[in-house]
Order: sequence, then C-alpha cells, then structure tokens
Amino acid sequence: MTGIAPLARERTSYWRRLDWVLLGSALCLSLLGSLLVWSATRPRLLDAGQDPTSYLRRHLLNLGVGIVIGGLVSLVDYRKLRVYTPIMYVGSCLGLIGVLLVGSTINGAHSWIVLGGGFQLQPSEFAKVALIVGMALLFAERGSREDSRPGADVPLALGLAAVPMAFILLQPDVGTAMVFVFVILGMFAVAGVSGRWFVGLLAAGVLVGVAVVQLHLLQQYQLDRFRAFTNPDQNTQGLAYNITQARIAIGSGGLTGTGLFRGTQTNGKFVPEQQTDFVFTVAGEELGFLGAGAIIVLFGIMLWRALRLAGRSPDVFGRLVAAGVVSWFAFQSFVNIGMTLGIMPVTGLPLPFVSYGGSSMFANWIAVGLLLNVHMRTRDAGSI
Amino acid sequence: MFGRPTTRLVVLRVLVLSLLATLGARLYYLQVLDNHKLTQTATHQHVREVLLPAPRGAIVDDQGRPLARNRASLVVSVDRGKLTGRSDGGKAVLRRLAPLVRMTPEQLARKITPCAKDVPKPCWNGSPYQPVPVATDTSPQVVLSIVEHQEDFPGVSADTETLREYPGKSLAAHTVGYVGPVTQAELDSAAAAGRTNLHDIDLVGRTGLEKQYDSQLRGQDGVRRVKVDNRGTVMAVDSESAPTSGDTLVTSIDAGVQAVAEKALLDQITQSRATFDYKNGQNFAAPSGAAVVMDPRTGRIIAMASYPSFDPTQFVGGISQSALNSLTSEQSGIPLVSRATQGQFAPGSTFKLVTASAIVMDGQAKLDGRYACPSQMKVGNSIKTNYDNESISGGVDLRQALAKSCDTFFYKFAMDAWHSDQDRLDDGKKVVEEQQKMARAFGFDQQPEIDLPDGQQTDGRIPDRAFKKARWEENKKQYCANAKKGYPDVSDKARRDFLTQIAKENCSDGWRFNIGDSADVAIGQGEITVSPLQLAVAYSAMVNGGKVFEPTIGRAVVDPTGKVVRQITPKLRGKVPVRPEVLQFIRDSLAFGKGLGVSGESAFGGFPLKKVQVGGKTGTAEVFGKQDTSWFASWAPADNSRFVVVGMVEQAGLGSRAAAPLAREIYEGIYGLNGHKAALPGGVPPTKLPRLHVDAPTPTPTPSADHPGPSISSGPSGQPASPSGAAPTPYRSGGDSTTASPSGGPRGFAPLPDGPPASLPEPSPRTRGEPG
Repeated sequence: MTGIAPLARERTSYWRRLDWVLLGSALCLSLLGSLLVWSATRPRLLDAGQDPTSYLRRHLLNLGVGIVIGGLVSLVDYRKLRVYTPIMYVGSCLGLIGVLLVGSTINGAHSWIVLGGGFQLQPSEFAKVALIVGMALLFAERGSREDSRPGADVPLALGLAAVPMAFILLQPDVGTAMVFVFVILGMFAVAGVSGRWFVGLLAAGVLVGVAVVQLHLLQQYQLDRFRAFTNPDQNTQGLAYNITQARIAIGSGGLTGTGLFRGTQTNGKFVPEQQTDFVFTVAGEELGFLGAGAIIVLFGIMLWRALRLAGRSPDVFGRLVAAGVVSWFAFQSFVNIGMTLGIMPVTGLPLPFVSYGGSSMFANWIAVGLLLNVHMRTRDAGSI
Repeated sequence: MFGRPTTRLVVLRVLVLSLLATLGARLYYLQVLDNHKLTQTATHQHVREVLLPAPRGAIVDDQGRPLARNRASLVVSVDRGKLTGRSDGGKAVLRRLAPLVRMTPEQLARKITPCAKDVPKPCWNGSPYQPVPVATDTSPQVVLSIVEHQEDFPGVSADTETLREYPGKSLAAHTVGYVGPVTQAELDSAAAAGRTNLHDIDLVGRTGLEKQYDSQLRGQDGVRRVKVDNRGTVMAVDSESAPTSGDTLVTSIDAGVQAVAEKALLDQITQSRATFDYKNGQNFAAPSGAAVVMDPRTGRIIAMASYPSFDPTQFVGGISQSALNSLTSEQSGIPLVSRATQGQFAPGSTFKLVTASAIVMDGQAKLDGRYACPSQMKVGNSIKTNYDNESISGGVDLRQALAKSCDTFFYKFAMDAWHSDQDRLDDGKKVVEEQQKMARAFGFDQQPEIDLPDGQQTDGRIPDRAFKKARWEENKKQYCANAKKGYPDVSDKARRDFLTQIAKENCSDGWRFNIGDSADVAIGQGEITVSPLQLAVAYSAMVNGGKVFEPTIGRAVVDPTGKVVRQITPKLRGKVPVRPEVLQFIRDSLAFGKGLGVSGESAFGGFPLKKVQVGGKTGTAEVFGKQDTSWFASWAPADNSRFVVVGMVEQAGLGSRAAAPLAREIYEGIYGLNGHKAALPGGVPPTKLPRLHVDAPTPTPTPSADHPGPSISSGPSGQPASPSGAAPTPYRSGGDSTTASPSGGPRGFAPLPDGPPASLPEPSPRTRGEPG
C-alpha cells in the first residue's frame, strides 16, 4: 500500500478534491470564534478607551495567516512532509527551550515568547503538531516493514514524546501535557499498540500522579484550580470566581441567548479571560443553547470527518495523523468547554479555532492542512 | 489488542462521540433545564436598583409660606471604582480635587475608603458601589472647574442633592419637628407590613408635623434599574420608575403670628430674668415659657411657641451627639420639649373657669348670689389665704370673685363639694366630684388629641379620689418601708424625723383625697397640672359656646399637582355641660376695659381695648420650691372671639406680670397695634387655602458663600426675632417663594454652559443593594 498519489495532476482538481465539509466546519468555527472574540473584547477595549475592533482585526489576521499556512501544508506532498518533520520537531523543542529561557509568564504558565508588537509565540502549540507528525512518521516507517510489531516502536515513540513533554511540564503547562498524553494514547490505540502497554502506562501514570502529590510537586495555583473545580461554591473570589461566572454567563443565555453583543455578563466583563480560555461563555450567553450547541456540533462534524478520514486512509501515516489530530481536538475542546460548564478543572487550554491566540490558530490550521492533505491523497488512492 | 485498524478506530469514535455528547448534555442542562437560578444570579449580579429619592413635601403656613421645604445642595462625589481602576489608584485625581473641596489628599482618601474593621474613621459608611459624597454645599465655581475639566477629574461628579430646609430656622420648631434617617427597625417593620415605600436612603419624620404627617409628606421613591459591569460601573438603564413627590401639608400656623408669639415670649423671658422677685429675694428665673394662639371658632392652632427652642436644621444630615445632648439636657432647659403641648404646670386661677362652671351648674352658687371673700379660711387642719392676704368686705358675687380672683370664695364651694362627696361615700354611694368632672369636660386630664405625635402632648392631671388611691396602691410599699426604716442615710436628725413622719403619713393615709386637695383643685393649685394647649382648648370652649375641639394644626394635604387630597377638619370632642349664659357670664366677668378692674387688666394699659376688646384671666401658680408660674388665658374680640391666646412663663411671678404682657404683645402683632405690623390684618385668619405654585419649579437659588439660602426680604411681622436671639428668616410673601415639591425625574449632570448655571441638576440617585 504505497499508493500515495503525486500532487495534483491538474490545478483545478485540488479544489475538487478538498474535504469541503471538514474545511467548512473549521472555517465556521473560526468565523464564529471571530465574532465571539469581538464581542468579548469590545467592552473591555471600549472601557480602556481603545479601538473596539483591535482584537478582532488581529484575530482575523491570525486566521488569515493560519489558513495560508494550512493551505501550504495541504499542498505539500506528505512524503515530503516527512522530510520536514524532524525540522519541525527539533524546532518546537528549541522553541520550548527558548520559552524556558526567555519566556514570559501569563496566568501562572511560563509558556510565551514575546515577539514584540503585541505578538507572542506559544511554542507548545506547535509542539502538538510536531508530536503528531513525528509519531505518525515513526509508526509509519516501522509499520511499512511486514515483520515489525508496533509494540517495538512504543519506547521510541514515548522517548520522542518525552522530550517536549518534559519542557512543557517545566513551564509548567499541565493542560498541554495532558493533551500530549491523550494524543499519545489515541495514536497508540489506532497504531495497534498492545493492551499491556496501556495497562503499564496507566499504572505508571498513577504512580507519577501519586508521587507528584506526595512530593508536593504541584504549584499552588494548580492545586487551587483543582480545589476551585471540586468546590466552586465555597469561594466566589479568585479561581472559583472564574468558574462561577462562566456558569452564570452560560446559564443566563437560555435556549436562544441574548443576541450577539447583547450579553449583560459579557458586556459587564464578569468572566475573566473571556476571549481566550473562556470564549465559549460568550457563545453560551449571547447565542444560547442553539449557538453554543452549534459549536459542539461543528466540532462533531469536523471530528467525524477526520475519523472517517482515518478509517479510509490507505496508509499508516495518514491514519495516524488523522487519529492524532482527532485526539488533540477532541480532548482539548472537551476540556475547554467542560471547564466553562463546570465539569472539568480550569487548565488554561484554548478552544481550537474559536479562542483568540495566534500560535493556537496557526497550529490548528496546520492540523487542518494535514487532514486535507491526507484526504486528497486518500481520494486519489480510492479513485485509482 | 484492537485488531484491525478500523476496529481500533471504533474506540476513538465512541470516545469522541461520548465526549461531545457529555458536553451537549451538560450544556442543555445548564442552559435549558437549570437556567432559572443561574439567570436569577446573573440578574442579581448585573442589575442594580438605584433609588431616586422622592422629594419630601413641604410644610407651609396658612398663607403658603414654607415652614419646611427642600433645598438643593451641590454635592461633589467620588466614584471609587473608577479611581482604583487607574494606574496610580487615583492618587493624582485626589491630589487635584483636595484643594477644591478644602481637604488634604489624605483626608479625601480616607473619606472615600469603605468602612471596615481595620479602617480608621472617617470612612465611607455607604454602599461601595455608590459614589461617595465628599463635599456638600459646594460653590458653583468648584462644580464648574470639575465638570469642565472632566479629563482631570475622572470618577468625580457634581450633582445636586435635596436637603431638608427649615427656612424659619427655629420658627415653630416644636410644631414642625424634624426628620432623621430611617432606622433598620422601621425598615423591618415596613417590610413586615408589606409596605414598599420606605427605603434605606429615606428620611423619616421624627417629631412634630414631620412625624405626624410623615406618610403624606414622604413621596414614593423612584427606582431605576441599571446594568452594571464587574466593577459596578453603570452601563445602561434597564428600566426606571420616576419618583413621586410627597404631598404638601398646609397648616393653620401663621408664620407672622408665630414669629410675633416667639418674639413676645422671648421678650417676657428676658424681661422677667431682669426683674427682682420680692417674694423670693432674687430675680425671676424664667427658665421656660409657652404661648398658644388658637382660633376658638374652628379649633385650629394659629401659633404655638415654646421657649427654649431649637433649630431643626441641626438634624439635617445627622446631628452630633454633643448637639443632641445639649438639646435634651436639663442644663439647657431641654429645648426639645415643647412647653406648649408637653408642659405640665399647675394652672393657678386660670382654672377658675372650670370651678366657676362647676359650682354654678351643680347649683352650689347662683350667678346673682353674693358670697364671702375673707382673707383666709380654715381648710381642714390648715389655714389657706388669698394671694397677698387680700379680702373684700361685704362679700362678692361670682363676677367679682372671678375678676378679682378671690381664692377663699372658691374654697368654700370646694369644701362643700368635698363634704357632700364624703357623705355620699359614707352612705355607700358613688362620689360625684363635680369639679373634676367639669375639668374633664373642658378637655383636661386627657390628651388634647392635637395632630402631633402622641409623645408630644400630655394628659395633665386632675387629682381626685381615684387618682390618689391608685398612686398610693402603687407606692405604698415604698412609703411604708421608708416609714419603718426611717431614713438612716440622712444625717440631719430633724430632717430625718420629718421625712420619716411624712412616710408614715403616706403609708397610712396617702390614699386619702383630703379637703385641702379639693380646695387646691378649685384654684388650680396643688397636684393639678395642665398644658398651655389644654388651657387654650378650654378657653376656646368658653368663648365659642362650649365646643371642645381637638386642636388641629394641619389644614389640608395638597398633592404635587396642586390637588387637595385631604381636607383636615378639627374634630369636635364634645360640648361642655355648661349653659351658654353661664359661659357668657364668666366671659363678661373677665372682659377688660369695662371698668370691672379685672386682674391682669393693668398689663393692657395703653392697649386700644375699644378697638380690640380683650378679655382674660390671670393665673399665678405656686410651685413648691420654685417661683410662681405666670399664666394668662385670654380671648379677643370679647364677642365672637377670633383668637384665644394663652401665655405661660415659668417662675416669672404674677400672671399679670409676665404672661399677660406676653399675650398683649401677641395681640398687638396680630392686629397691628402700637407700632406693630399686622400679622393678620383685620384680625381674621385666612379661611381659604393658600395658592401653592406647584407647577413652577422650586426656586433653588445657587448656594454660595454670599447667598447661603433663599433670598430674603422683609417679612410681614416687620420685627423678625426668635427666642434664640438670632433673627429668624422672615418670608417673602407672594407665590414665588412658595415651596412646591420639585417635579420631574432625575437627569444627568450636563456640563454647564458659560456663565452661571441657569438651573441645577436634579437630585443624584443613590444606590441600593449590595453585590450578589
């Protein structure tokens, strides 16, 4: 099964071979996100006497750049992508080291490199892409040999993931690390890694968890987040305040919401970090159950297309990339939305495509580009 | 483990689906199934109720001149939320603002800090979401510099707030009363009763008319629901109900007569204090006094003065403890107590109105009968004498007995009456006590039911057998214990024995209503007490054919549109059981200027009695250990009387010495005699309600250092004075100074145009409620 087609034989067929449903859902999410970011930042900017569209404009710029990058990624033959993979992997590791050296701390995590001009880089977002592509490459290379068993690649794959994860945990950014774990587990499952590994990894995870708690390795803010999650009513200030306010904003939206720009909790700036981690609350309040539910449905469509892609992909690489991206988006959106709904602790993960943030946007669209890339080749394979 | 790749993918599919389904279900639960409480919480959080205080109604006199009204005060407020949001915490703003409001930046910062456990005073006691007023009665210049340079003063605002104003200062202070902030207890009881018109920013009438007519004077506060953001900054107005101004109370008080009465009272107090009391060997103390002017035909009160007085303005915006102490201390004469309605004094001979009525009506005395008037008389075991041991040889008739105020004349009848009652008791019958019955018919021994709060009018006391018995029952334990113990604490043996003897007598015989007690009642001495108001009611009954009114101050309640919503008519309590010709006889006996030589007439030397026929009865009440109380109860004109004037000066000697001249000065002021300007030209109180210019905006003159209050022109009395010595604010007659309730709802404070502001903004709303 090496029926990987060369890049489009005709220029026009590129457009025909795109997965428009997948692309459409990503675009819808991004545009909806733009409106929500606008709504969330408008009152705050007006309050500060600034241009109320400045965040919106920057967000749209990020989106544009993200789409262009994603488009480029979709164009490149993914055999050539393999060539870029080590560069990407090493690049993100260097970025993560850079963060540790010159990064700035925002909301307790040392995750950003300030570029100046109001732009920041969050290398951990790109590390997610690098991890997925790197692991897919690893399993695909070995998987092409008939005699090899996927279990043999597991230590190597774990080692591959361990390096960026270590840097991320040092920031510390537990949320992104959790994404890594979920992506690894998802890709392992699809790669056919033996169940013993899962049991072993699970046991190791529990051990590490116990050790972390016992040795007091968690930062105070991390403990606070967890306490605020388990007991939101005890303290309405601080972190629990975020959770309570998020729930109030969403709950007051009702079935149809207050209408865009008309949410009193949003206009009242009651929910902190509303354009980034808590952007879903804007949808909840202003667009109601119908609008917020639509976001979940759009994620569902996107993940369904990606899973379909994984199932139809003629090669291991494509299948694993799709599975990795699905694991990433599924976990991250669940954690993000779940935390605004009060069923997950606050972890500081953005909502893919919707939250404000350049690095996240670029990484998300690179992922879309990868999926489109795989899709086009899959269609070719199927048609041949 | 998972077999074929597609099978492995199923796991991921199921996982993704269940994650999304979880989110969807949770979202549905929060937004659709359980959103009620969250929506409520949200509303509670982002909606604030801002109260728009309703302007309190004015209290005006019979001609529409304000006794109490509202005035606008320019108030500079600081919104702390906006200051703390600034990079320097608002320090620079406070530094610029401080000199404008004459404070140091530190004082200013302290003043706007919300009070808490470890915050030193002065601190801000109100809601932390409410702008903190830092300066009241600011000059327009200061307001202008703040409003015009908003960029320098973010979070600083200038608004007008209404403050209660008593333009006459101490004028009719006891009658008008004062207001105070609502208490939590009142809020609770209002809430319990389901009343919604009382809010924590409201002022409530505490005494006087302000209290009595509080529910009419207090309007309905408006409520503005605003949307606020997380810092409490108002984003938009959600809904608004405009405040409804309180109604105006029109009274029968005439500010002109009131000023005259207060001036006359002060004059007599001053004069008495400068006069030597030969009986006592020192100047008259004259610590207090009162004057009541009543319309006997209607039962309305025209003026009521009490000395010492106070300025209710002191209570506006909260009174200091030291000021309150001085208003309630014995040393300063307890200015808060109205001697006119709360005073309890033996009435002396003024009470002979009742005695004369009683002895004629029960047949003891005949109008044309002549009876003895010896200089002294044995009453029980003691000898009682006439004042200065006077006697009239050959006996007197009732007319002379009243005019000359012969005590022994009345003692005889009192003793006879007492004996008759004792005989009835011996026969196992009920006592009649004609004296006391008559006194009660004239309105004594009970609340006059004037339209003032219950605590501000007293029953007085008419002693009788039941009273003495009841008191003895109450106190006999103490009497008998003292009699048994003796007074071991008292070192002086003579005094100890004396006290012990008294206690013994009280223990065994304290319940007895002795013949001496009866004689005392007849001449208004001993344990009998009345208030000047009660005496005015009684004399009104005498001159109006026997009608006993519940004296009334309020005339009408007028709503902000000028509609009379309530006419107040004095209630007729009853008629005295005295034949009209008897009342006429007593009245004629006491008429001045008829050559009768009525006691007290001397005080009216030079008074044009031909023009204004005055009649009156003096009273000189002896008080144990004190100088005599000077009384004078009078009326004018003699027939068809329009006015009853009762004067009383405590510890000022003869009735003709202080109280009668006091009444004379009041008549002169009313009618405009002897150089006085007539307060009621023609001697007729207005019968129609005054015109209230309610549609015109309340004149709210710009407060400034030069013009602290409304513009002042000379008042109708011409001789402004007040008992406190400070010139009272006379009134500008005519409509334009008439206070009507300010109309209209609150507006924002717009930047002022060049030049002085043409109009002032409306009262600033105050925030109610705390964050959720």
